[in-house]
Amino acid sequence: MADEGHSHRRSGRLIELLTNVDRRIIFLVIALAVALPLLFPLNLPVRPSREATAYFEALEALDPGDVIIFSFDYEPDTMAELDPMSLATLRHAFRKDLRVIALTNYPGGPGIALRNLEQAATEYGKQPGTDYVFLGYNPDYSATMLRMGESIQATFPTDHSQTPTAEIPLLQEANSYADIPLLVTVTASALAEYWIIWAGGKYGQKIITGNTAIQAVLIYPYYQTGQLAGFLGGLKGAAEYEKLLELPGTGILGMDAQSMAHLLIVLFILLGNVGFFLQRRAARNGGAN
Amino acid sequence: MKKTGPVILGFLVGILMLVQYFTPNAWIEARYNNVLDWKQVVFGMTLILGVVSLFLYHWRKISRRQSGWGYSVVTIGGLLFMIFAALIWSPEAGPYRWMFDYVQAPMQATMFALLAFYVASASYRAFRARGFHAALLLTAGVIVMLGRVPLGELIGVRIGETHISLATISSWILDYPNLAAKRGVMIGVGLGMTATAIKIIVGIERTYLGRGA
Repeated sequence: MADEGHSHRRSGRLIELLTNVDRRIIFLVIALAVALPLLFPLNLPVRPSREATAYFEALEALDPGDVIIFSFDYEPDTMAELDPMSLATLRHAFRKDLRVIALTNYPGGPGIALRNLEQAATEYGKQPGTDYVFLGYNPDYSATMLRMGESIQATFPTDHSQTPTAEIPLLQEANSYADIPLLVTVTASALAEYWIIWAGGKYGQKIITGNTAIQAVLIYPYYQTGQLAGFLGGLKGAAEYEKLLELPGTGILGMDAQSMAHLLIVLFILLGNVGFFLQRRAARNGGAN
Repeated sequence: MKKTGPVILGFLVGILMLVQYFTPNAWIEARYNNVLDWKQVVFGMTLILGVVSLFLYHWRKISRRQSGWGYSVVTIGGLLFMIFAALIWSPEAGPYRWMFDYVQAPMQATMFALLAFYVASASYRAFRARGFHAALLLTAGVIVMLGRVPLGELIGVRIGETHISLATISSWILDYPNLAAKRGVMIGVGLGMTATAIKIIVGIERTYLGRGA
């Protein structure tokens, strides 16, 4: 009888331990799981997915001198996940001597766009106005996307630094989707879908997109139908693209940390479920007694 | 007229935007561009309205010394500083750019990064296999979480020449069950949007005119 009571107490303590881990312990373990692999990389292998390969090939297929549109459709909250994609794409474009018309559909986007554009342009010795132009933010993304199909100069009378777009050499050559073989949008929202519907659906613009991992799940149908030529999903997508480019950056660097964080979250979920089942069994046995 | 006018205007603009999609007529195309330009102007005005509304809300809080009024001082201070910094110097350099790069961007990124901690804690507490459907969701979630990181490539079995890893199964889940569900939702949403648009154009749906329309 005493043994049975002792066993019950021990089982109760185990259930308590499994189902009520202090949240501060969880926070500490997650912090270590993210920080340690960044300091001591495990170098887990990164294998490019077919979507990332298609994204890479869409840019690779362009000829030097071709113009692309690059839309920075995100704000600083998601820059840890999306900046690696933006920077890698700009490096790819400038490495291939493509010219870039950049814009943003978010009021908080210009700072991000400028930082990425300036960094990539400096690395490859590109000049504003001839090699790239930043149009800035325009209110109302739907009207912007549709109007750019008619005239980019009319949609953006001046660029971000208030230079009239009619005087910018790059925009004299490329003034609508008809002059632009590829549009890239890096986004944390449904804007990728809107680009596909308005620029792709109405004007037949070829589009590739970089998305946060949570958003990527929603755009698979567009990739399957061919409305999207390729896409990057989350930091893993950025890492895959960096691997294809052979330009390792923060995408690849973040993969070990992300792997460990995901693994830990899964372990915590399993731990909680083991506790839950033990609890249920104990309740059933208690009821039977 | 107060109600009929907007309904007629809605009908005409709706029909114009519908027709322009199917015709290359120059006059219709020019009107279509007008509508897009006006739309941007209207959207720009709503931004100004938002800024004024934000200012007045916090100004009232400060003048009435309501709870948390100190935060309102910071909000208005930040708002005014960014406006004047952009006007006096430039959004591309100077104090505006410095504030964006070293204050706004790190703060927003930090707030978002905190999600990782809360997601870990919340999924540990709430993600329970209480029944068949919950177990199915839990299994799919675990496979996709591990399959979408390089670790998932390493966890798997080899059957003959084929290596079936968690990444392979994760891709299958995203390519088939996820895609089928998403497509169903998209078709439903598309049909709903079309029906609503037709109802607005012909004047059946008038809630945009306000109460009692």
